[in-house]
Amino acid sequence: MLQPELSEEDLLQRTGRGDARAFEQLYDRIAPRLFGLLRQMLSDEREAEDMLQDGFVQLWSRASDFDPSRSKAFTWAVMIFRHKAIDRMRALGRRNRLVESAALEHATLASPAQAGADDEAEAGERGTLVREALNDLPKEQRQLIEFAFLKGLTHHVIADSLGIPLGTVKTNIRRGLLRLRDLLKGGI
Amino acid sequence: MDERHEELAALNALGMLESDEKRVLNGASVADKELRDLSTELELTAAELARLIAPVEPPADMKRRIRAKMRSSGVKGAGLSRGFVLGGIGWALAAALAVASVWLWQDREKLVQQVAAVSRAMATVASTIPANATTEKKETRNIEEELKSLRSDFETKKAALSTEIEALRKRETDANARIAQLVAEAEALKQQEARSQLQIATLQSKVWEYRRSEMIVVWDGYKRQGVLMLDKMPRVDAGKDYQLWVVDPNKPDPVSAGVVTVDDKGVAKTAFKPVDAVGETVKFALSVEKKGGVPKNEGPIVLVGP
Repeated sequence: MLQPELSEEDLLQRTGRGDARAFEQLYDRIAPRLFGLLRQMLSDEREAEDMLQDGFVQLWSRASDFDPSRSKAFTWAVMIFRHKAIDRMRALGRRNRLVESAALEHATLASPAQAGADDEAEAGERGTLVREALNDLPKEQRQLIEFAFLKGLTHHVIADSLGIPLGTVKTNIRRGLLRLRDLLKGGI
Repeated sequence: MDERHEELAALNALGMLESDEKRVLNGASVADKELRDLSTELELTAAELARLIAPVEPPADMKRRIRAKMRSSGVKGAGLSRGFVLGGIGWALAAALAVASVWLWQDREKLVQQVAAVSRAMATVASTIPANATTEKKETRNIEEELKSLRSDFETKKAALSTEIEALRKRETDANARIAQLVAEAEALKQQEARSQLQIATLQSKVWEYRRSEMIVVWDGYKRQGVLMLDKMPRVDAGKDYQLWVVDPNKPDPVSAGVVTVDDKGVAKTAFKPVDAVGETVKFALSVEKKGGVPKNEGPIVLVGP
């Protein structure tokens, strides 16, 4: 019987060693946030479910590659699922256009007010730190990063969609992400 | 690493790059560890944002679907479902056997997975290295061609400069020689000028017939030669000639400077040089001698001076 206090990193490492129970427990811990991400990115319930299914199959296969000294289990998993979602968007031809007319308004990460108490607890201290770091960015940088993160569009499409010069998009993304990295440094 | 690469890494972290831009980033990352590290850091930073996503409970049958997918895909994880599929007291023995089977299966599958992982890694390396190698070879070729071109230009310019330098050196040598020659000539002229002792002498006569006559001698004491100019000279008798004499105080007799022929107007102008060596400071005399002159003064002196 697995101990409940096992960290996500422990669970992922055990998964990498073929521990099915650890895999299931890891699923229970991270699947809701990953599903929420996929729904936001794909704007399609069915597509999000398919990507969640494929993503966990891939996570099982690649878990042995996970190195806890380089990243957290959750961020490592997010990278797998985002790449899959972006590949899927590309295959569906969605990467070069906005699906929703009001995409920008919906493309924001949940604020503390929007998130419930359980969600906040699930996000944990790290989530609070990320929230504070993101809020520390200038508004134009924060909005662009959130939009880019959630929509998986190319910078050309984002510039066209938002009516912002391409150079401004690039600069804000670069500066914002570097700043965010610095703020989170040491905890990734 | 420049800003452009930072930009590419940042855009890549958010999945914003086009395929060609992604290739540029991958190509640059091959030789730039700093860029590789930055890309990883930024990807992980971006992934952290997912912590702010509002969780959504997946469908209840998602675990079953995942197991089904793993089985249909031949992924070794088919074994992970056994705990659910064979759950129940009546199946305890079967479950125990199943657990053992799963353990053995997973052990075997672990090896298979490792082999597969190595194969994938090798395939990735194999698919990456040739592309990178091709790119690097191409870049190397470009650099080599550029170097070759630069070297060729350099050699051409070097040869042209060498020729020019050689020509300039020759001109400098010629100019130095010419300067030396001019300096020598100037020096010679200076010496000549220093040694030059021109003397202008006016000869006079006490003879009545020659009272109106004018005789001027320009004498160069250095060269021991001079010019004689006569005017208003009386015509000499037939069988006679004027003869010029240079009188050197150190010599017992005047030295002949030649016969002087006067025209119908009584004018004569002629250069002269004494037949024997004389000193620098001399006097002059003009006498009337036998036709053609004589080696030693015989006739009357009509003019003398200075």
